[in-house]
Parts: sequence; structure tokens; C-alpha cells
Amino acid sequence: MTSPGRRIIRANLTCIVAGIFVLSAQEPDAMRPRPAAGPTATREFLGLGPRPDAAAAKKGEPLFKQNCAACHGETARGAQGPNLVRSLVVLHDEKENEIGPVVRDGRPQAGMPPFPQLSADDVHNISEYIKLQVEQAANRGIYNQIYAGSKNALRGDPNKGSEFFKVHCTGCHSNSGDLAKIGAKFPESSLMQSRFLWPASREPERATVSTLSGETVTGTIVKLDDFDLALRDSKGDNRYWPRSQVKVNVVDNLQGHRSLLPLYTDADIHNVTAYLETLK
Amino acid sequence: MIGPLRVLILLTLLIGSLFGQLLDPAALTLFNQPADIWPTYNGDYSGRRFSSLTEINQSNVNLLKIEWAYRISGIGPQRGVGAPTIKSTPLMVNGILYFTIPDHVFAVNALTGALLWQFDFEDHGGHLVGQRGVGMYGNWLYFLTPDGWFISLNAKDGKERWRHKVADEKLQYFTTMSTMIVKDHVLVGVGGDAMDVRGYLEAHDPETGALQWRWWSEPQKMGDPGSESWPNQAAMDHGGGMTWLPGTYDPDLNLLYWGTGNANPVFAGQGRRGANLYTASIVALNADTGKLVWCFQASPHDTHDWDNVETPVLLDAMIDGKPRKLLAQGARCGWFFLLDRTNGQNLVSRPFTGTGNWAKGVDSKGQPVPDPSKEPQVDGSMIDMPAMGATNWPPPSYDPQTELFYLNGTEGYGVAYLYDTSPEPEGYGGGGGGSFDTRSSLFAIDIRTGKVRWKHSHESGMSRNDAGMSGGILTTAGHLLLTGDSGQFVAFDPASGNILWHQRLTAPLSNGPSTYMLNGKQYIIAGAGDTLYALTLAGK
Repeated sequence: MTSPGRRIIRANLTCIVAGIFVLSAQEPDAMRPRPAAGPTATREFLGLGPRPDAAAAKKGEPLFKQNCAACHGETARGAQGPNLVRSLVVLHDEKENEIGPVVRDGRPQAGMPPFPQLSADDVHNISEYIKLQVEQAANRGIYNQIYAGSKNALRGDPNKGSEFFKVHCTGCHSNSGDLAKIGAKFPESSLMQSRFLWPASREPERATVSTLSGETVTGTIVKLDDFDLALRDSKGDNRYWPRSQVKVNVVDNLQGHRSLLPLYTDADIHNVTAYLETLK
Repeated sequence: MIGPLRVLILLTLLIGSLFGQLLDPAALTLFNQPADIWPTYNGDYSGRRFSSLTEINQSNVNLLKIEWAYRISGIGPQRGVGAPTIKSTPLMVNGILYFTIPDHVFAVNALTGALLWQFDFEDHGGHLVGQRGVGMYGNWLYFLTPDGWFISLNAKDGKERWRHKVADEKLQYFTTMSTMIVKDHVLVGVGGDAMDVRGYLEAHDPETGALQWRWWSEPQKMGDPGSESWPNQAAMDHGGGMTWLPGTYDPDLNLLYWGTGNANPVFAGQGRRGANLYTASIVALNADTGKLVWCFQASPHDTHDWDNVETPVLLDAMIDGKPRKLLAQGARCGWFFLLDRTNGQNLVSRPFTGTGNWAKGVDSKGQPVPDPSKEPQVDGSMIDMPAMGATNWPPPSYDPQTELFYLNGTEGYGVAYLYDTSPEPEGYGGGGGGSFDTRSSLFAIDIRTGKVRWKHSHESGMSRNDAGMSGGILTTAGHLLLTGDSGQFVAFDPASGNILWHQRLTAPLSNGPSTYMLNGKQYIIAGAGDTLYALTLAGK
């Protein structure tokens, strides 16, 4: 584990952790980093319609709790009355055209009384509160915000984590050197966990190339795949070879992390995370 | 029995060529479609994506070159997904290629790449994540839109004949499937897992579009067979199991084989204790009634978003000296399965990547038994495959000459997190958090053992984003395996995995390649981003 600045760590891990929300269930290559998608981009991708009005929802919350929660539950997920987050009326509603009549007139045959005392504004605010509940379930781009707390969940044992660290990590890392105060550098413990499991770096990888003519070139990799090798050499020049015409030795800084992956139990992972969190 | 379509064809043959675009239903076969046609998403009903064509073969593949390219123009970034990307496999019927992207259908001259017509649709919701192509019956094409419209077009000019609503995008259903034609049925599947809805598969009348049958991915009510795998009616009613990729079909058995998607809520399984039938399964359905005949569940009680929609490939092979009718699948849960397709009996279950450590083993039916401790946890649970799955929709291939099953997949380690800890969660309820030491690999799997015979693997690296496999796979009797690798279109030796030929394209391969003979010349068709390529032998 190297110790890059906080800004870089955050950029990488936002990419790794938030990036997953952009991925659709119908997309392969989960490994490819993608630009982070927040609530707005995910909402657009999912076609969820207009964003709930947060201010209106806030006004609607006490009204909902006072008038509706007894039957529909505190977060509209249903009690003796139906779940409204999954309600066809709610999901088809546009500007209270579906919700409005039900609230005003009730559904006598289903046991729901009318609420004539609620004004048009009240109904609007209540409906925005319900739609916010829908948003929080359906828009996975918002999970990073609403579940931020759970991303700091620590169940591991820091003492056992310290033992694991001594045995497996101190060959390369030190809790008073490169990892001093590492626990203060991550906004969420789940980000630190991802980081120590696989500290994929956005910094360029280096390789040494031996050409057919006997030249040896060391530089940073621009492109390396089955067919192409492009390198920026120590002078800053761009070099290119067909992959088949050179021997390439890529510097692997991650061997230690790679070899640990098959060995970890989930408890090991949680213990090490809990231990690293104590380094503040 | 002579159906109305056959009468029409006979009349057509008598009168002369009334319908230039007419697809002869005899071209839809289990294993061997005619050489001059690619009449359905997978070419034939088997899903093997193996072609018996040999003009292009190992001895001359070095002469393969681009004959023409058709680039989609005038369509900007698509909502939420960016630049247009061809994920469809074009049909090729009577010299015309029909292919799609979300909201658009194109017909181009298969000899020249010239556009004949284009159908444009304006969606009002749904996901534009992909569009896999059209189905064809007689002179008619069938197209699905992101917001659940099922549209019939005239193949001659792309004019709309009728449309029917088949899925409600307000409930987060969406439709991306290439419709599939079986006898007088147009099969329509659905996607959608953001809001906990039920999957279903429908058959529609090709002439009127009327619903013929609907199979639900869950039992209808408690007490029905399979309902014992759910805790209550509400969980079952919101249990997921989407049907978004075309299945396969055995005409002799009259069975449709379909993969179903993950259970819902996706990552949070505590409100749906049990195996959650018939999600994340391969199901065999009677093609005329939609009734379930057998089921094999690949990822019981799935909590990792492991849609099991990957093509259930039909193949015949000798097992222990006896000819068997088989079904093979490389599943998103990272396992290879071989089944007897007559009855679903399991012959092979084996992880093709990692150790399958999310499962404790297999049950008496050969189905993996999920380890509860490997379900997503609040502080993460790690498995030795990517959390989001080891493979996905890009079509695999089975080559009867090598008797190997090929797929493009992803390897590594993943952690899955649980976010919504309430007793009855909704939506995704969690997520995959990171993929570690990932590798992109082309697998060649021995069908009899499930063991990986050879593998072409790419190590991960932030500066090596372009390296990796892409798109689907085509194998041919010319001893070629065609797929995408490192942004290029590549021919491998299917026996050894050696690279024989490669061609740079303008984007990584994004669909399943296909092939046919036209005017005495073998064509290979490949979609890469916004461009469709036709390749032929130089000098031919």
C-alpha cells in the first residue's frame, strides 16, 4: 500500500465504489472503471421522471406522518394499508393527477377515508414525500448519500487485525511510516477496505522493453494489450512496438496484495479494516 | 399440418416473388440454418453460434479484410448511456441486414452496406442500456422499445404495421430483447430490476400482436408449486426474474429454454428467505402453452445480481458412449452447467473461475447451494469472482468440432455490501463494492467435465483499460473462433487458443459476430460501437 495524497485516494475510490452504481445489471466488464454517476445521472439512465422536490417533501413529511402513516407506514412502505412505494397509483402519478383524487375522495370500498381537509398544496407536498421514498429505493445513484452511515460499519476486531497486519503486511508497510494516520485519510471505512484489498493506482505503470535489435527501454506504459505496446520513455518520447516484436517486463507492485486475496477470510478483512481505522 | 404461412409461401412460389423480403419458416432450424441466411438472433435455434461455412478458414484467414462499414449517423448520445452502440446481432434475409440500437432499426444492403431504410422511435422512459435486434416472420419485423412497446414493421420499407404495450416503464420494466419467432409465436421478454417487479415471458400472435400466453417468473400464489421457496405472497409478487435475452428452442421436444434474471430486491435477500423460484434459473417451457416443464436453478436465493439469462446453448454429443440431447450454459454466477435438455437432469456443475466459494457445494439436482455467510454484509463479504458476475449477455459459442464451449468472462475478487438492513428491503438494497485483481478472459470449456481446456487472459491495470475481451463469439467449420480482443476483431484457433488474425476496428467489438454466404462469397459481420462491419476474403 503506497501512501498517496488524500485527493488521489478519494478520486480512485469514488471511482471504484460509486462507479458500480452506473453499471447496469445488463453490462459486462464490471472491472472497468467508469465515471461516477450521482443521483441525477442514474435517474436519467433509469428514466425515473422528474426528481422529487426535496423542499416540498420536507413539508409533506409531517403531513404524511399525521394523516397517512397509521395505515401506510412511517416511510410509506405499507402497514395494514398498501405499500405506496410500489403503488401503481403513485408510480403512474404526474402532478397529483392520480394521487390527488385518491387522497381527496378516499377509497371507501377499500376502507380508506377521504381527506377533504388537505389543500392542493398539502396533497402536492405529501405526494412529493412519497415520491422521495420511491426515489430512495429505486435510484441506486443516491445510495451513497442515504447509506453513508453504513459505509462506516466496523464489526472487526482491531487487535486481531493488528496481528494479521504484523504477519502479512509489515514486509512492505509500517503503521508509523507509510500508513501513519491512514485511518484519518478515508471518509468511509468501506473505501479504505477496498483500497487495501486492491490498491489499484491511477498512476502510470512502468515497464521495461527488450526489442529485437537488442535495445532496452524503460518507461511508463501508455498502451499494452495483445497487439500494441506504447511507452513514454525517460526522455518523454513516445515509443511504439507491435506487441509480438518485443519482450515486456511490467513492474508488479501489487504482488503482495495479489497473493493475499485467496487467503483472506471475511473476518480477516473486517479485522484489518478495524485496525487501520485505529491509525489516526 | 400446413399452417397459413406455409400456404402463403406455396402461393408465393406459384405466383412468383410477391414478397421480396419473405422469410421462409423452414430457415428456422435447430442446428443448421441455410448458408445464405442469418434468420434469428443466434442464427439457429440452438444458440451455438457455430456456422458450417468453410470458405474463410485457417488457411486463408490472413486474407480477411473489411469489405464495407456502415456507420450510424445523425443520432447523438442516447439518454443515460452515451454514444450509440450496436449490441444487436443483425438478421440477414434475402440480401438485407436488419439491425438495431435502442429506439432505432436499420435495414442495409448486405452486399454494399448501403442504407435502405431506417425506423426511428421516440421513447418516453425505460432504459437504453441495449437493444439486441429484431425478430422476423414472413414479411414482418418485430422490435421492442425501451419503454415497452412491441412494434411490427414491414421489412420492405420499415413502415409500422401496429404496436402493443407489453411492459410498463413506470414500474421500471424495459425491453431490450431481440424478439424470437417460434412457429406462430413471437416471444417477448422483459428487463427491469430497480423497483422489485415480477419477470414474465409472453408469446404474441405474429399477425395481430395479440397475447397468446404469459409465463410468470414466480408462482402465482402461495400453495402453487415453487411457492414454498418464498416466505409470502408479497415477496413473490416483487421477486424479479427478468427474461431479457432470447432463449433457445428444440423443435423436436417443442421446448423453449429460457434464462431468468436475479431475484429482487437485488442485494438484500432478508425479505425473501428461500430459493426464490424461478429466478436465476434455466426453465424449459412448452412453446405453445408457456407451461413450465422443468427448471434448473443456477443461483438459488441470488443476492449478487447474477442474472442467469446467458444463452442456454443446445447441443448434441456423446456422453459415456451414448448420444445425448444436452444444454450447456456458462452462467453469470461463475459456474458452467451441462444438463440433459429433455428433462433438466444435471450432468456437470463446475465453477469456471475462482473456486465457487459463494456456494457450499451442490444439491442433489446439481444446483449450487449458496453459503449464507457469503451474502452481502454491511461491512462487506468477499467472493473469489467479480461481485457483479463472471460473464454477461455477450453470446457464447459451442463448436461441435472441438466439443468446447466458449465464453468471454471476467475473473478476480469482489466484495458485496448490504445497505438496506430493514426486514423488508426494496430496490437494490446493496451493491458490489469493488473488483480486485480482475482479469478479462476468453474461456474454452470441456463440456464433459466443465474444466477449462484453455484460457486467453488479460491482466488488469489502470493503464491497460483497452486490453480485454469484448463482444460475443462465433465459431465456424473453418476452424475459426471470432471475437473481440483489445479493441480489435480477432480470429483464434478454437482448439489451441492461438491468435491467427486480427483487425483493428474503430471501437471494441460490441455485439455477437455472425456469418453467411451471399453471391458465392462468405461474409462475416461484426458490430463495434456505432459501426457495423462486413468482412470478406481479399481477392474473392
